[in-house]
Amino acid sequence: MERLIQLDNLNRQEALRYLGSGGQTPDDAFMALMKDCEKTVLAQARPRYVYRIFDIRECEEGVCAEGTDFILRGNSIKKHLKGCEKAAFFAATISDGIDRQLRIAQVSDITKAFVMDSLASVAVEQVCDKFEQILKEQTQGYYQTFRFGLGYGDLPIEQQKDFVALLNAPKQIGLSVSSSFMLIPTKSVTAVIGLSKEPVKGVARGCQTCNMREKCQYRIKGGHCNG
Amino acid sequence: MDKNFRELLKKEYVVFDGAMGTMLQAAGMKMGETPEVLSITQPQLLVGIHEKYLRAGADVIYANTFGANRYKLEECGKSVDEIVKASIKNAKQACENVNPQALVALDVGPIGQLLEPTGTLSFEEAYDMYREIVEAGSAAGADLVVFETMTDLLECKAAVLAAKEHSDLPVAVTMTFEINQRTFTGCCIESMALTLSGLGVDALGVNCSLGPAELEPVVAKLSEWTNLPIIVKPNAGLPDPVTNEYNVSPEEFAQMMKNLRKYGIKVFGGCCGTTPDFIRCVSEMLHTDGNAGFWHEKEIPAAVCSPTKAVTITEPRIIGERINPTGKKLFKEALLRGDMDYILNQALEQIGAGADILDVNVGLPGIDEKEMMISAVKSIQAIVDVPLQVDSTIPEVLDAALRVYNGKPIVNSVNGEEKSLKAVLPLVKKYGAAVVGLTLDENGIPPKAEDRFKIAQRILERAQAIGIPKENVYIDCLTLTASAEQEGVMETLNAVYRVKHELGLKTVLGVSNISFGLPNRVLVNHIFLTMALQNGLDLPIINPNIPEMTGAVRAYKLLANIDKNSVDYIKAYANMPKVEKINPAAKPAAGSTGAAGSAAPAGAQTAAVPAGDCKEQLFHAVYAGLKNEGANLTRELLKDNDSMVIVNEVLIPALDKIGEDFEKGTLFLPQLIMAASVAQAAFEVIREHMVQSNAAPVSKGKIVIATVKGDIHDIGKNIVKVLLENYGYDVIDLGKDVEYQAVVDAVRENDVKLVGLSALMTTTLVSMKKTIELLHENELDCKIMVGGAVLTPEYAKEIHADFYAKDAKESVDIAKRVLG
Repeated sequence: MERLIQLDNLNRQEALRYLGSGGQTPDDAFMALMKDCEKTVLAQARPRYVYRIFDIRECEEGVCAEGTDFILRGNSIKKHLKGCEKAAFFAATISDGIDRQLRIAQVSDITKAFVMDSLASVAVEQVCDKFEQILKEQTQGYYQTFRFGLGYGDLPIEQQKDFVALLNAPKQIGLSVSSSFMLIPTKSVTAVIGLSKEPVKGVARGCQTCNMREKCQYRIKGGHCNG
Repeated sequence: MDKNFRELLKKEYVVFDGAMGTMLQAAGMKMGETPEVLSITQPQLLVGIHEKYLRAGADVIYANTFGANRYKLEECGKSVDEIVKASIKNAKQACENVNPQALVALDVGPIGQLLEPTGTLSFEEAYDMYREIVEAGSAAGADLVVFETMTDLLECKAAVLAAKEHSDLPVAVTMTFEINQRTFTGCCIESMALTLSGLGVDALGVNCSLGPAELEPVVAKLSEWTNLPIIVKPNAGLPDPVTNEYNVSPEEFAQMMKNLRKYGIKVFGGCCGTTPDFIRCVSEMLHTDGNAGFWHEKEIPAAVCSPTKAVTITEPRIIGERINPTGKKLFKEALLRGDMDYILNQALEQIGAGADILDVNVGLPGIDEKEMMISAVKSIQAIVDVPLQVDSTIPEVLDAALRVYNGKPIVNSVNGEEKSLKAVLPLVKKYGAAVVGLTLDENGIPPKAEDRFKIAQRILERAQAIGIPKENVYIDCLTLTASAEQEGVMETLNAVYRVKHELGLKTVLGVSNISFGLPNRVLVNHIFLTMALQNGLDLPIINPNIPEMTGAVRAYKLLANIDKNSVDYIKAYANMPKVEKINPAAKPAAGSTGAAGSAAPAGAQTAAVPAGDCKEQLFHAVYAGLKNEGANLTRELLKDNDSMVIVNEVLIPALDKIGEDFEKGTLFLPQLIMAASVAQAAFEVIREHMVQSNAAPVSKGKIVIATVKGDIHDIGKNIVKVLLENYGYDVIDLGKDVEYQAVVDAVRENDVKLVGLSALMTTTLVSMKKTIELLHENELDCKIMVGGAVLTPEYAKEIHADFYAKDAKESVDIAKRVLG
């Protein structure tokens, strides 16, 4: 069954940040372009998500999902899910309509492509935010960790294929993984959210666990990407 | 009765089995386990499930081979062959035990990776994976092959071709549609029916995603678009979002299936959530209530399609003729450079102007037409949704295009010559295309309508003789030049009339030839077009960018009461400026009619501006990101200035200024890109000018750029490309997901001194490293620059890149250092 999330508008400020505006306010012509691109992204986005909640158990290699033979590997995910008795595995996508629009724009108007690309990234993040709300309603009495993406910290991105298969995501939401572990459609996310009866402590999303820390433009400028 | 699927389909109804996954999970299979491995580790479990379905009344059972492809089995330690053999054996064992008359289907699901252009799997790789499965299934003794739960029409095509070319097994295909009547990849029901019927499958239908009640509109529509046996295998209703339990009982399921019989379904079965009880109830329902009298033969409308759009030829449709190098210097030059973007922009422009179908011809001496055709078809289909007409005089080129085309295309063309009929018609049949038949033969074009009519008749007979349905034959009665053969004009129109009304075929006509050698050609062309439409022309092949031509078709449709309530006409012209000055001097300028689409009437205002000011204005236009102005000012400047002067004195200084401000942080990246696109538009104008005046295009050296293998995020690379082109470099863009060897080949063949590689993901940095290694192994005398979000200068050094570019601007600085 299709699970749809409705997006009514996109966070343009966030998109501007992705575009590297550095806090400047762009001129009217640029904002008009942005508005135009936002319209396209909203019209093309068909947000879908799929999730499953598993009882979890820490094991030597990482964290096991009970009732499956799937293990989330590495130390960062262990740390992230510490104290959680359950975890929600989820995948979300805004589907492939936007991929075609991006291909068209890259041929006909590269600026548009660039702006649309950042807005589409914002869109899929907003879908994830909405999903977190839905999950909260479905799991009352539980506290949530932030969403921990595959490939983040030392959680291997190579697990993408099995993760997506475990959620039956190809069939459920049309999401698949390429041979280099990229999610396709491109504007998609896979992540794990820990669930605990006790308030989850520490382990906020931070630069320490981030793969991009050496390279991150936000960090170089003394900031961070988390809002 | 023979044990044969095609015979089985002659029965009043056929029962397929229900879900396998549901049964395996009930038997304790863990989530995340590879279900196909159980065929080897627990054969008795599988035999038992099959037996239950057979006892419930299934005539055909699906072997446990849904995911038995080499990608999905990668890590399970078993080969495709082993799994398929064991799975078919279990199913056959069950048949022997319960019902020896029952058939075993090799069940094949999607590979699990998305095909190009959205994904990275190529058509050819997908084909090869399916070939492997089909060969294994055929050797293991399957009675038929079923491709199910498919969402990508091109993947279906790869699968069906693999099955037909590597086995004699009957083929059935079921696709999975969502509530919006499209698959996840956007494929619509009409396109599925048109394409798969054309490919000669034995049965087609739908499975999964929804319950029988929700699938009713999908089944209803499918039944209007095919005369083949229809398969319906719905889920047991919809799953509960929390428990994942389905909400329809076996009895209810049977009742819903009973209701669907009215659409003339032949095959009944179940998908996720259904069990032997469901199949038993369906089987009993059919036994009691029967299934006779529902199916009737329908007339399928003449139509062609892409996966997302079917175009019916029930009213005049415009075929855009612009993707064709004949008589076009710029196009030829673009083909020789391998500039696909040029072709893609031609496609977008024509669609914007009103084309319903696009003709694609890339024949030019000096290029590999077959490879170019494959590449053009794939690239165009990646960005447009209108169907294509593949156009070549070489059968091998047509074959290659038909193979990779996603949907049902038109073939242009066959003619009455024996050689042509023999070479082209079998291709049309094999791939299920429509075909344009030219009314000429060994003796040339007959002058009289009567004789052209006879050739049309002959083409139709020959087509039908090999099984091409009448609705797929479109006849071109051939336009002759009015200035040379004036008496021939009415002959053409009479032939159109007769072919349309006596043979009942759709008609095609290239129109522009009519006015060759006459002044004011547009006038003659659009009047002739109108006359032809009145005589029954369905598919005018025209330049849709000329407003009078597209307008003639729109106005005709309005006046002929086809465009009901003038909806399309009003949509096209409602926003047109009210006061229109007739300016006869402006009209015949070929350049201006070709550049429709963008609002570009600014040329007139700038005409009076002195050249010096013009330069300043262009500088400003680039800086401010004003694309149309930039192009117009360049056009103006070219009248009195050498192109190198414009490049060196205006464009490059403007870009340098932008680059500086970007580095200072007073401009941000999108503004840099906007400026770059203005400069790009200016360069296009310069290139056009130089090609038209036979001058060598501006080039400061060649650079090969590529997004490395496995990586499909190429927006960054494309920005780099635009900037490099701005500075006058000749960029050979290999695209995304590029093989290591392809980079080496391009460097060697073009004697290139600088290569740019881009990667966005940590996982594809490996590909970058391997590409560099291969370049070094081949001892090519070229420098390598690398860039991409996850790269660091340290890593760039580690993988032996010569330069690390932190952004697009820096790649230009590097190019300047290397190439000057």
